Amino acid sequence: MFKLIFIKELKEILQSSRFTISFAVCSLLIILSFFMGAQNYLAGKAQYEAAKQENYNQIAANTEWMSVNHSIMLPPQPLMALVTGISNDIGRDIEVRGRGELSAQNTRFNDEPIFAIFRFMDLEFIFGVILSLFAIIFAYDAINGEKVSGTLKLCFSNSVSRASFIAGKLAGSFAGLSVALIIPLLIGCALLPVLGVNLTGDEWLRLGLILISGLAYFGLFLALTIGISAMTNKPSNSFLIGLVVWIFAVLITPRASVLISGRMVEVPNVDEITSEKNRYRFQLFADDRPKMADFSVPEGTEPQQVMQEFSKYMSELSEERAKKTEIFEEKINEQYINKRRQQERLALSLSRISPASVFSIASTELAGTSLGLQNRYMDSAQDYQQVYNDFMTEKTGTGGMTGFRMIISTDDDSGEEPETIDASELPEFEFQKATLSSTASRSLLDLGLLILFNIVFFGGAFFAFLKYDLR
Amino acid sequence: METANETIKQAPLLEARNLTKVYEDGVKALDNLNIKVMPGEIYAMLGGNGAGKTTTINIFLDFIQPTNGNAFINGIDSNSDPLEAKKNVAFVSENVQLYPNFTAMQNIDFFVRLGGKSNYKRSDYENALNRVGLQSEAFDKKLRDFSKGMRQKCGIAIAILKNAPAILLDEPTSGLDPKAGKEFTKLIGELRDEGKAILMSTHDIFRAKEISDHVGILNNGELVAQRTNAELKGVNLEQLYVEYMAGYMEETDQNLVLTNDLN
Ligand SMILES: Nc1ncnc2c1ncn2[C@@H]1O[C@H](COP(=O)(O)OP(=O)(O)OP(=O)(O)O)[C@@H](O)[C@H]1O
Ligand SMILES: [Mg+2]
Repeated sequence: MFKLIFIKELKEILQSSRFTISFAVCSLLIILSFFMGAQNYLAGKAQYEAAKQENYNQIAANTEWMSVNHSIMLPPQPLMALVTGISNDIGRDIEVRGRGELSAQNTRFNDEPIFAIFRFMDLEFIFGVILSLFAIIFAYDAINGEKVSGTLKLCFSNSVSRASFIAGKLAGSFAGLSVALIIPLLIGCALLPVLGVNLTGDEWLRLGLILISGLAYFGLFLALTIGISAMTNKPSNSFLIGLVVWIFAVLITPRASVLISGRMVEVPNVDEITSEKNRYRFQLFADDRPKMADFSVPEGTEPQQVMQEFSKYMSELSEERAKKTEIFEEKINEQYINKRRQQERLALSLSRISPASVFSIASTELAGTSLGLQNRYMDSAQDYQQVYNDFMTEKTGTGGMTGFRMIISTDDDSGEEPETIDASELPEFEFQKATLSSTASRSLLDLGLLILFNIVFFGGAFFAFLKYDLR
Repeated sequence: METANETIKQAPLLEARNLTKVYEDGVKALDNLNIKVMPGEIYAMLGGNGAGKTTTINIFLDFIQPTNGNAFINGIDSNSDPLEAKKNVAFVSENVQLYPNFTAMQNIDFFVRLGGKSNYKRSDYENALNRVGLQSEAFDKKLRDFSKGMRQKCGIAIAILKNAPAILLDEPTSGLDPKAGKEFTKLIGELRDEGKAILMSTHDIFRAKEISDHVGILNNGELVAQRTNAELKGVNLEQLYVEYMAGYMEETDQNLVLTNDLN
């Protein structure tokens, strides 16, 4: 009986014009998103290579390491283009100095602000927004439509159990629709190498998991909608309810959870932190002022000597202040980061009541474009800063501290044109991608939640139908 | 077939025993209804709109639970063992609806299989559709283009193909043109002759009188009159029906009608 209903459901879906139209639209969008993702990636990669070359050329034009300005860039990755996550929102360029805080500049949206408004049509958007909506359009009248039309009564005038009917219906519609999605998804995947985007085995695995979680996400919306249809008598009602649920799940919950967590965990803003740091610095300076006044030299010291002594005394004080400032700022920064992480974690946890957020978190995590991307990039940059600092210290004796660098002229007096430096000696920046195992462990919760949502909604639809008034 | 009919001839294939249904909103749709339909019999339920005909059929099909009493199909209580009971019954509603994206053939194939018959061939389906008078050009057309009468014919074909001993018909001729209505009447006569027990609700008194073995008149959920075909000979059923439908009948008035009928 299950098989009969399963096949009937499958055939009915495949023969409906609703299916034909939405299949065409979805296929087009899916393939387009792969295509545009690939194009974006290739363009980003070309730009990255060019910028890297430019940076190299600039360095190579220098005659001494001391005057080098070095920037590192976030290398583009294929999965970043397919599931953009935050990759367009974070700064891509970091000017590396031997010491001090690093800051990333130039987001993608800086260059192309139009995308900041309309965003990209990446896979997360296609699944998260469009396909979930299609699931509702498909299934809103799955049960009550059959009741209104009367086929439900005719079916159940036979010896048919409700359980096998709803199971066949759920399985049939999921199979029919997911097969229809799998086809363009596979075409999209096949398109990647054709367009010149070569994924590593690791990346294929991640992409596979992204697509599977996308299908799971689609499935839960399908089951949810069928469930709503099995709890209402009129298709217009179930459509409306489905739409409201969708709006809350996809549009409101993620934003609301960010707002709520913002209320619940106070994080000082960057200006507050800067002014706090400044205040501390002024305070230190004010504290030192009496000490500066205390400066004295034995009577009769040569003025030249006095100047030297004074300069030494002042720089000792300043050094001490710098040390204190650094410790203080580190503490403040750490507090700030901890607070912010706490806020982010809360927002993510809250948002997980919506399957849409769960899917977003899972897919960006798998693509390496979740919030962790920024941290990973900064961590990689800081690691690199260390290496760079060591390198510069070796080359110049001071570490590559631009800003207040002293010009010490080393008189070679060779009279020759100074030779340019060998830029290839510079250590390469390497962006540390998240390992597969760390990604797996971080996305496990969300993949599990997607499965849980599926179980809950499929089960909910099942039990709702057992109680459904068939007349 | 013959011997099987002989053995079950004694017991009713469809039986409503003290059926009472009070809906959640307090409407009493059925009041202690007792009906028996034997194999090879047609029982016509007459009654105005809201008399309780559909309610009766819905209880037989386990779509609703009776407040009191039982409905039996082939001796099986259809509310305590609906799956078993429904193996023995075929149903045609007053407005047959099939899957609009399927052709007539696909629909029939699905519903007949759902009815437990999986070894029919296409020629069997064609025979059934010919028998109910659906034009052969329509066999492979999608149902969404069908008229109500054409759908009704498909529904009847499905019921015939299910080949269940009992048949429930809820105003089956509504929407059929006169010719099709006549053919239908002939058809259910044939089914009766095959030994089926047929319970049919209808507003068509003339046809009811023409083919039924029993006629029952329902008014506000009460079976207010029941006649055998023999008892109806020479009776003006229309008058009887209209008077019962018009409203209540005092016991004495009923006797009056009955004596009038007999004259
Ligand atoms: N779901 C329901 N809830 C409440 N009352 C109902 C429900 N279904 C039917 N009724 C009431 O039960 C009574 C009998 O209805 P039923 O549909 O059985 O009548 P019927 O004889 O089939 O009428 P018709 O000839 O119009 O088809 C009516 O008064 C109707 O309003
Ligand atoms: Mg009715």
